[in-house]
Amino acid sequence: MIIPRTFQKIKDRYQHKTGPYAHLFQPYDGDEIVSLDCETTNLDVSKGEIISIGAVKIKGRRVITSDRLDLKLKPPESLDGESIKIHKLRETDLEDGIEMEEALEKVLDYVGNRPILGYYVNYDIRMLDKFLRPRYGFGLPNKSIELSHVYHDIIKWKSIGGNVDLRFDTISRKLDIPMMERHTAIGDALTVALMFLRLKYGEPPEADY
Amino acid sequence: MADSFKMTNLPFSLLDESEQQLLGSSMDICYFQKGETLLAAGAEPEGVFVILKGRVRESEVFQPGEEATQHVFVHYTNEDYFGAWSAIRGRAIHNFIAEEETICHLIPTKTLLDLMSSNSLFADYFQQNLSAKSEIVAQHGGDQDMAEFMLARVSDSLVRDPVIILEGTSIREATLLMREKKADCLLVKKGNRYGMVTGTDLLDAVIVREMPLSTSVADIASYRLITIKPGDYLFNALILMTQQQIERLVVMQYDILSGVVELTDVLSYFSSHSHVIGLRIERAQTIEDLKEAAFGLDDLIRALVSHGVKTRFAMDLLAAMNGRIIAKLFDLIIPVDMQPHVCLLVMGSEGRGEQIMKTDQDNAIIYRDGLGWPGMQDTLNTFSRTLIDFGFPPCPGNIMVSNPAWVKSLSQWTGMLADWASKFDGEAQMNLAIAVDAKPVAGNPAIFKASRNWFMRHLRNNDVFFSHFAKASLEFDTPLTFFGNLKDKGELDIKKGGIFPIVHGIRTIALECRIKTTNTFARIEELVEQDVFKAEFGRELSEALSLFIQLRLNQQIKRMEASNDGRDDTPNTIELQALNKMERDLLRDALHVVKKFKKHLELRYHLGN
Repeated sequence: MIIPRTFQKIKDRYQHKTGPYAHLFQPYDGDEIVSLDCETTNLDVSKGEIISIGAVKIKGRRVITSDRLDLKLKPPESLDGESIKIHKLRETDLEDGIEMEEALEKVLDYVGNRPILGYYVNYDIRMLDKFLRPRYGFGLPNKSIELSHVYHDIIKWKSIGGNVDLRFDTISRKLDIPMMERHTAIGDALTVALMFLRLKYGEPPEADY
Repeated sequence: MADSFKMTNLPFSLLDESEQQLLGSSMDICYFQKGETLLAAGAEPEGVFVILKGRVRESEVFQPGEEATQHVFVHYTNEDYFGAWSAIRGRAIHNFIAEEETICHLIPTKTLLDLMSSNSLFADYFQQNLSAKSEIVAQHGGDQDMAEFMLARVSDSLVRDPVIILEGTSIREATLLMREKKADCLLVKKGNRYGMVTGTDLLDAVIVREMPLSTSVADIASYRLITIKPGDYLFNALILMTQQQIERLVVMQYDILSGVVELTDVLSYFSSHSHVIGLRIERAQTIEDLKEAAFGLDDLIRALVSHGVKTRFAMDLLAAMNGRIIAKLFDLIIPVDMQPHVCLLVMGSEGRGEQIMKTDQDNAIIYRDGLGWPGMQDTLNTFSRTLIDFGFPPCPGNIMVSNPAWVKSLSQWTGMLADWASKFDGEAQMNLAIAVDAKPVAGNPAIFKASRNWFMRHLRNNDVFFSHFAKASLEFDTPLTFFGNLKDKGELDIKKGGIFPIVHGIRTIALECRIKTTNTFARIEELVEQDVFKAEFGRELSEALSLFIQLRLNQQIKRMEASNDGRDDTPNTIELQALNKMERDLLRDALHVVKKFKKHLELRYHLGN
């Protein structure tokens, strides 16, 4: 999966280097990162639909919550009882949601060419790509940062053998980061942003198992 | 908006919905490592920090070359905010350093100022001192039934229209009028004065004194009216009635009469059972009756506190009740022919009217010089024993009338005080502190007044004494740095840290200014009147003291309920983790006031080290 995506990226960049979205393909040289999360109806990318998107910028050691993206989309057809149980967004909650076109435009505008941070971030990126490609002819070209990898890289030196528990709740507990509005897109994006800062700048967490 | 930020905490709960939205959308979240400086002295702050998680200390700047032991003022922890003062003034004067990894919300200065200009209560909260803050808290924080209960005032709905009759109305006419109006008291206008006639007065006049029915009621009215102002707290009306042992107050302002408040109306308003106890005390004919009434008091206080009655009111009421019980017991036990020759004093917190739960009995007897009463000590022993039986614990220092050391003739008593005042050892100072808070509750108060006035004259201009006496209030540190340790079992002794320094300091100054009242709040008021303190400082001191007492009482009651035998062995301990954020804030401010007061004492009595 990784290698075809890399080729795809190179192809996308070549095709769009003069288009209106050329800036997205420029290498990023700022100090900002975007923490992003999508709530969807299904964990399988091919079946899932996006119902909300949350994103927040990290600049240096600060989470810029005053400039954030919190989008709700029109209810998709695949919204069913199972997914409602997780994200607690019912059809009525999404009534004033926006169209996918508008949402994608806002995401591209907000994220720009900054690196994208997330928890299992490839899932979110592929989900967005699924809707971007038919409309724009490219997927998100941004560099991605996987929170669970950052966590794993730090914690693996501390735990001898055995598997590292990479569940979201476990990481949050180990890092002693309060969880914000779990299972809302903006809340998870915020929590991930704080976890990232904690991992990058704080003392390494204890591995006590 | 992130739910990590509690909009329900004061002062943010003062904002309306759109203001809260503005606040929520303009905050950032910052991350700080352990030891990192969030805000340095002299720097321009970016805004107000609200801690999401972590701990921050505020400390003095230390000059190069100075010793590196920085003085930590305050610790802030989860949900606390800091930096508002600096943000408003544009410059920080202290260092703010993360003691552990800290995540904060940051409210930009611009947003803070915008919100302050659009919401005056919010602005007040940031700019004001402790007393204004507690006012806001009292109005906006906490449960509403509290406000209703304690803020009830003498108002139209409770004031009965007076039935006024003119001088010259006969007893018969008056009685008919009372029947017609269904009133049980009348006000008689005689010249410019009013007198009150009750049903009992009429009966007395006709049946007991056998006066003719044509007698003018003006002749049997009582003209010493006890009045209350319209708009005063209903609670004060109740206290006044209890103290004066009367059932009606005349509502009057600037000599304009607006009606009568009746005990039954006040009581039906306070549906708690305070009235039952009050009446029981008055009606008690035997020691047994009285004992039952005394046991009701604990429940009463608990009921009042759980209703959220301001502690100061509860204290006043309890002091009046306890005073009545002790006085009544005195009447029952001390032979009538001896009563005019002795004076019973209550001392210490009881003398100041500041005890809440029934505290140790601290009492004494002064008797007239040359009194011959052979059985006196036996009778007094019975008195002390009976009080113990009533649930007033014996004094551990044995300061009570069963101890002959506290039963003195007037000249012995004054001699004893003078002796203590000339000694500088701890015990003498402590005894003196207890004795100068004495208040006569039964017997002949003139005897006590003679001793007090003599002692105040005796101390006049004795600077050495006052300077020494004041020293005790500086003995214990004011524990401002405790707050950081909320994770550990943070406890503080509120008596040493807050209550005692204020009470003793005020006691010293009051003694020096020859103020006769003993209640600390009343003493502060008089000191303000005499211009010893600014009114604002006086208010802050009162507010701080009542906060300490209130917090202590809340925790005492909790511990008493939690323990098996209903006892609380650590009555002065405040467990910090049991406080909510608001209480922590107020406690911190109140302790700052204590610090300031100690500085004042140091200057006034030259106690600098």
